[in-house]
Amino acid sequence: MINFEEELKKFKPSLEIEDAEDIIYGQDLDDMSDVLVRILKDAGHEADNSKRTK
Amino acid sequence: MKCYICGADLTKADTCPSCGASVKTYKKLVALSNRFYNEGLEKAGVRDLTGAVNSLRQSLKLNKNNIDARNLLGLVYFEIGDVVPALSEWVISKNLQADKNIADDYMDMVRNSPAQLENINQTIKKFNIAYNYCQQDSLDLAVIQLKKVLSLNSGFIKAHLLLALLYLKNGNWDRAKIEAQKVLKLDTGNVMAKRYLKEADSMLLPGESGKLVSDIASSDSDDIIRYNSGNEMIIQPVKKSVLTRTSSIWGIVLGIVLGIAASCFLILPQRIQSITSNNQEKISQISEESDSKSAQIGDYEQKISGLQAQIEALQSQVTDYEGVDSTSAAMNSLMEAVNIYMATPSDIEGMAKALENLDLTAISDDVSPEFTDLYNTLMSNVGPQLATSYYNTGYEAYKAENYEVAITNLNKAYQYDNNNVNTLYYLGNSYYSSGDLDKAKEIYDAVITDFPNTQSAQAAQVKLAEINNSGN
Repeated sequence: MINFEEELKKFKPSLEIEDAEDIIYGQDLDDMSDVLVRILKDAGHEADNSKRTK
Repeated sequence: MKCYICGADLTKADTCPSCGASVKTYKKLVALSNRFYNEGLEKAGVRDLTGAVNSLRQSLKLNKNNIDARNLLGLVYFEIGDVVPALSEWVISKNLQADKNIADDYMDMVRNSPAQLENINQTIKKFNIAYNYCQQDSLDLAVIQLKKVLSLNSGFIKAHLLLALLYLKNGNWDRAKIEAQKVLKLDTGNVMAKRYLKEADSMLLPGESGKLVSDIASSDSDDIIRYNSGNEMIIQPVKKSVLTRTSSIWGIVLGIVLGIAASCFLILPQRIQSITSNNQEKISQISEESDSKSAQIGDYEQKISGLQAQIEALQSQVTDYEGVDSTSAAMNSLMEAVNIYMATPSDIEGMAKALENLDLTAISDDVSPEFTDLYNTLMSNVGPQLATSYYNTGYEAYKAENYEVAITNLNKAYQYDNNNVNTLYYLGNSYYSSGDLDKAKEIYDAVITDFPNTQSAQAAQVKLAEINNSGN
């Protein structure tokens, strides 16, 4: 048995054309490559920090 | 493929030829992204739009520079009615790859049709209004609004789903089922639509298909075929052949022909008969009038004949009166002549004038013996003088070839003195010269008869011979 209120929560107002600019600028475009680069950078920083502490 | 660090073109090697970075994992990510793109493309090809969106999103999560995946994602969004996300994907795609990007064409398509863009905008606004009605528990208004939305854009999947949900809420299982089926027709992988369809189907018992189906099923229309397939009642229209469709046209034509035939065989004879009877009535009326006119004409003819008889009678009376008048005029003329003679016996001219209009032959029957005696007495006294006077005048006129005057005066001269042969001879010559040969012959005969052995008689004989010769 479907719960109407619960189902209704799954719907959201449709995006209007006036909001397109905000959506485009606010969209998270990071992909897996960006994540990998950040991971590598973070790994590099941690390696540097550990060397300095030693 | 470009290096994710320096952007240089990569080779088959696992390191970047420019910066020396390891690109082995990156290459795997790109390959995985392409795999998701292919999967999304396949799903979009079979209208599993939800699945396509998921795959393409995965593809873009792995490689944001997968332009094909992004453009296809925008296209799928556009197809399901999410226009703004579609435009967003195309704008980002254009931003990532400015040249040779099909997103240009997609955006141009939308930009170059302001009416379509306005229609899209209205559709979105109305959907949001319907959504707000749902939030405010005004479900009937929401249904109305969603129907408007779908009339503007029948491919708006979210609107179909929300409407199906509202129908489920209201217990219109059949309508909910139809909406869910419409969604699945547009997007075969839509999980929400499948759930709603399942819910509706579970609520619909065989033979109790809700109001809509029952309305259709109860109708005895021959235009549909109904049969049960498992728990579902299938209603489909009957395919009509061309001949069946054209039968209505033939029916109309046949109706027109029958109408014309009916007017020819039923209405027209009656009309002709009525016209004929009217004409016959008119003819009989005219003949009656003609008969009465003929009777009147007969009466008038009788009256005319009666009047004609009266006129003749009156004319005879008038003639009698005229005779009386001429007799009295002759008496007056004689009285006047006698009076002149008694006063001045030498006034021959006055007496001639008085006796001028006295025609004794015309009144011979009406005059009294006393009148005749008086006339003879007067003539014995003045007749020769009168005759001489008229003879002279007539002879002068004869010589002057004025034969009309000559005939008048010579006649008078002979009337007053019938013993003068010259008078009679020149009278005959006057008639002869004037061309009245019959009268001339009569006079010449009188000359020969009354005065034989005279030169005038011989001359008259010559003239008669001439007349007789010319007549032959």
